[in-house]
Amino acid sequence: MNFTLKIWRQENAKAKGRFETYKVENISSDCSFLEMLDILNESLISNKIAHPVCFDNDCREGICGMCGLYINGRPHGNDDGVTTCQLHMRKFKDGETIWIEPWRAKAFPVIRDLVVDRTAYDKIIQAGGYVSVSTGGVPDANSILIAKDKADKAMDAAECIGCGACVAACKNASAMLFVSAKVSHLALLPQGKVEAANRVQKMVEKMDELGFGNCTNTYACEAECPKLIKRSNIARLNREWICARVGKEK
Amino acid sequence: MNLPKIASISKKIVVACVGLFLLVFLLVHMGINLCLLRPDGGAWYIAASNFMGTNYIIKVFEVVLFAALIAHIIITVALQIQNWKARPVRYHQPSKSKTSTASKTMIWTGGLVFVFLVLHFVNFYFVKMGLVEGKYMIQTEELFSTELQNEYMAATQGKLSEEEVALFQSKMEKVNAIAVKAEAEGLSSNDMKWIMNLSAEDVKPLEGIVEGVEPDFYNMSYELFGNKVYSIIYLLLFVALAFHLIHAMQSAFQTLGLNHNKYNKFIEGFSWIYAIIIVLGFATVPVYIMCFV
Repeated sequence: MNFTLKIWRQENAKAKGRFETYKVENISSDCSFLEMLDILNESLISNKIAHPVCFDNDCREGICGMCGLYINGRPHGNDDGVTTCQLHMRKFKDGETIWIEPWRAKAFPVIRDLVVDRTAYDKIIQAGGYVSVSTGGVPDANSILIAKDKADKAMDAAECIGCGACVAACKNASAMLFVSAKVSHLALLPQGKVEAANRVQKMVEKMDELGFGNCTNTYACEAECPKLIKRSNIARLNREWICARVGKEK
Repeated sequence: MNLPKIASISKKIVVACVGLFLLVFLLVHMGINLCLLRPDGGAWYIAASNFMGTNYIIKVFEVVLFAALIAHIIITVALQIQNWKARPVRYHQPSKSKTSTASKTMIWTGGLVFVFLVLHFVNFYFVKMGLVEGKYMIQTEELFSTELQNEYMAATQGKLSEEEVALFQSKMEKVNAIAVKAEAEGLSSNDMKWIMNLSAEDVKPLEGIVEGVEPDFYNMSYELFGNKVYSIIYLLLFVALAFHLIHAMQSAFQTLGLNHNKYNKFIEGFSWIYAIIIVLGFATVPVYIMCFV
């Protein structure tokens, strides 16, 4: 398969970026999107055309949350429930022009080309997205009883890999789906419930402070989440917030 | 000055609660509007609007309503500005994510609803406040007020000075002029309680003589919606309202954390039905007047 790529190139955080056009040929339809970019980079290096295109990636099996490109108007490209590394070139038409952009958000500044700084997510987690007691060794099974539906919901929320596609997709660059997933998976479980009220307030406060937008319930995040995190988590976040504020002790 | 930081979710909760209140208000307003269509010469409509204009609970809620509306506008605009700032560099490619148009255009449909409100205020509410001239109506029994009757008694008993008699006579001439006009042009309502469809010039001389001159929204509506261009502008702005409302209720529920697998479909459906009922209800009046009157 042959493609025309329009790729965002930007030397560093302060440089002015622009789109560059590259052509790639003889790409296998079973090639993943990142492998296709590897092929492009190899040709850029061997033919001394340009500096290779920078993009984030790590596990390449859809679980690390490192990769993330805005491809033809969709985070992680034109497939549902997959990360960019799990997107295959068979999802594109032969000869197609593909626009590749980095995540765009004030809280995710571009570092170089397609790589953005997602430290903001770490800061939100640091604000309270954890259980603060040491949990020790593995406890005896069934020593803490957890209802099946609660465990399922917590596990679904915990699937979030923090890739940032929700922010990238949201017209407001809101991080509500990410924060709600993190708040939910802890609040649903007995170990996390203890600190739930404090956690939700600190994480939301940090989210606001970092310059993410406000959720307007458009649900582009849900449509683009590679782990299919549901909007019901955002409602749970709102509930947790209301309960925390109403029941707040000073 | 250090403004207290209000969390994004708190602001949205206010917007949601206020929005739900405004939704209820729209239903009441629509109900009153539909009274315009009763072939009773406006009896129901006048009774309803008179109740809304005089009842003290409603007067309190009028203030609440304005505060709510202003809060809704200020907070949503402030949130929207933050949202725009949250993405300083925009994407080159337009978003192809699966989302509803209504949810993405809330700020714009809201803006159009605001344009509608300005228009609506100039046409109706400003008349009530005396800022714009409209049509007026007078309660028939107020026309010959107790005060005038007393003056009449005093005059017949010779208790008034010549100047006072002259003043009384000039008052009576003005009152008579209206009574004659009402008789000649058939301006009385069906139940004879009101003299309606009076212009500002008709009413002006009565200032200080007759109490209870009120805006005649019934005839103003018929005149306004008789104008096709105007009615069509109104109807187009209702389309914006429809889009706004389709997303409004379900969004408010989500913001308030009221999301449940069992009821989500119901809430979504109810939002659609409510929006359609409200907009069709409001649109019926201009369409009916434009086409059948």
